[in-house]
Amino acid sequence: MSFFDGLRFRRVTSPIHNLDPRIKFVYACIIFVIAILFWELLPLIVLFIIQIPFVVVAGVKREWARSMKGAVFLASIIFLTNFIYSFINAGYKVTLPSLEYALAMTLRFLVLVESFSIFFLTTSPDHLGLALEQTHVPYEFCFAFTTAVRFVPVLAEEAQTIMDAQKARGLELEKGNFLKRVRNYIPILIPLIVSAIRRSLELAEAMESRAWGAAKKRTNLYVLKLRREDFLFALITIGILAAAIFIRLYFRIPHLEEVLAGFA
Amino acid sequence: MAIIETRNLTYTYPGAAWPAIKDVSIKIEKGEFALITGPSGCGKTTLCRCFNGLIPHFYQGELQGEIMVAGLRVQEHPIYEMATHVGLVFQNPENQLFALSVEKDVAFGLENLGTPREEIRKRVDWALELTGIYELRERTPTELSGGQQQRVAIASVLAMQPEVIVLDEPTSFLDPLGAKKIFEVIYELNRKLGITVVLVEHRLDLTAKYADHIIIMDDGKVVLDGEPHEILNSDQARLIGVGIPKATRLYQILRTDEVKLGGKVPLSSEEMAEKIREALKHL
Repeated sequence: MSFFDGLRFRRVTSPIHNLDPRIKFVYACIIFVIAILFWELLPLIVLFIIQIPFVVVAGVKREWARSMKGAVFLASIIFLTNFIYSFINAGYKVTLPSLEYALAMTLRFLVLVESFSIFFLTTSPDHLGLALEQTHVPYEFCFAFTTAVRFVPVLAEEAQTIMDAQKARGLELEKGNFLKRVRNYIPILIPLIVSAIRRSLELAEAMESRAWGAAKKRTNLYVLKLRREDFLFALITIGILAAAIFIRLYFRIPHLEEVLAGFA
Repeated sequence: MAIIETRNLTYTYPGAAWPAIKDVSIKIEKGEFALITGPSGCGKTTLCRCFNGLIPHFYQGELQGEIMVAGLRVQEHPIYEMATHVGLVFQNPENQLFALSVEKDVAFGLENLGTPREEIRKRVDWALELTGIYELRERTPTELSGGQQQRVAIASVLAMQPEVIVLDEPTSFLDPLGAKKIFEVIYELNRKLGITVVLVEHRLDLTAKYADHIIIMDDGKVVLDGEPHEILNSDQARLIGVGIPKATRLYQILRTDEVKLGGKVPLSSEEMAEKIREALKHL
């Protein structure tokens, strides 16, 4: 079940959690844009560090660390390919600029993961669905999204039950080579899919019975309203963007070499 | 005037060889607590689906005969229109809650109808209070017990303020205590708000005492239809395999042993106890 635990959402509140999801999404996108604006290591380090306070305020350090750890594998691939590329370009020599370049590319990726994980870790699916609805995404999609989230734990439980039942009938999941092991899961998947289809029919019935599709214009119990905190957060985000553009245009960003030389 | 009336209703599911319900003619009056029972597969669920138009609109298939619910001919009105008159609660509580919070689920029907927000708020709180789950309103359905989930399901149809609530074996996934609570909630809605209740149930021990009207089905047909004491005391009911209340059965056994307890047939343990007390007094 541990795998599914990550998908289970908890209702947590913090100043960051309470922010409007739309603003948080804009924030993640802006950080993405800034990360692309720079290919030097120094500003990317700054970009990585200035986001840490948000993680701390939101109180999602553990989850955040986990998602960063998850990104390590991909990050090392990015590092290696970039490094090998610049290594070959530099005439088969390890140079400081090529190292810096590879590091910068890796960090750019990590900054991306960081900003989007702040968004996803602090936005409840409920809020996300609501945000989708209020940005005029067709309601069917929003409904599909929230319902999917709602049924993840239910299906996980069901998968567990089916696994237990099949094991009780003598199915050995952990036996054989890789291909055999994959095939071992077929007797789990088929009943799971069949029951999911059956469940979806029942759901459809229940939806119909509660006037699904009655009004052209659906109303909503909740509304997202921008509050003072949201404007403040938006202001911070815009500030970061403005500063980044300004620095990009009017400053020469020192390379690692020069920085190290400065220390020496 | 009858709020639900069917005449010679016969329905065949698409692709099925024979009809699931045959020649069903019943009448349920406004404000009644009607109980439909019968062995599994006798067409109870199919009949429930006819009440709010899932049959024929959702299931297609072939529907013959007449069915009028709340003054509307079901065949001619879409499900969403019927839904404002008839609330349907299903067997599995899990599969009728879609939202991530109880409150949102209860609001679902009203949102679909385009009810203004303030009105939704009012009605949602009202429905939550009536079903006794107000304190659960911010929880996720997965965090609730089966009984609580079923009460959410009831609240969510109640919020739409229908004239009739149809419950299709609402307690088959619940433990006895959870079931008892559900029945109490339903009974209160019936008595206090005058909502017509149609309850499909096997547990007659717990429900027979609430009923004004019992319909027993077997093999797609209505076999018995009438006043609970009379119906449950009949031999036919017992022979079909309906789980008649133990108190009623006890009364019958005592009667064959020439022990006569006065008055009507008891339908619940409480009624039986009352009769025994009476009889002991006269000894």
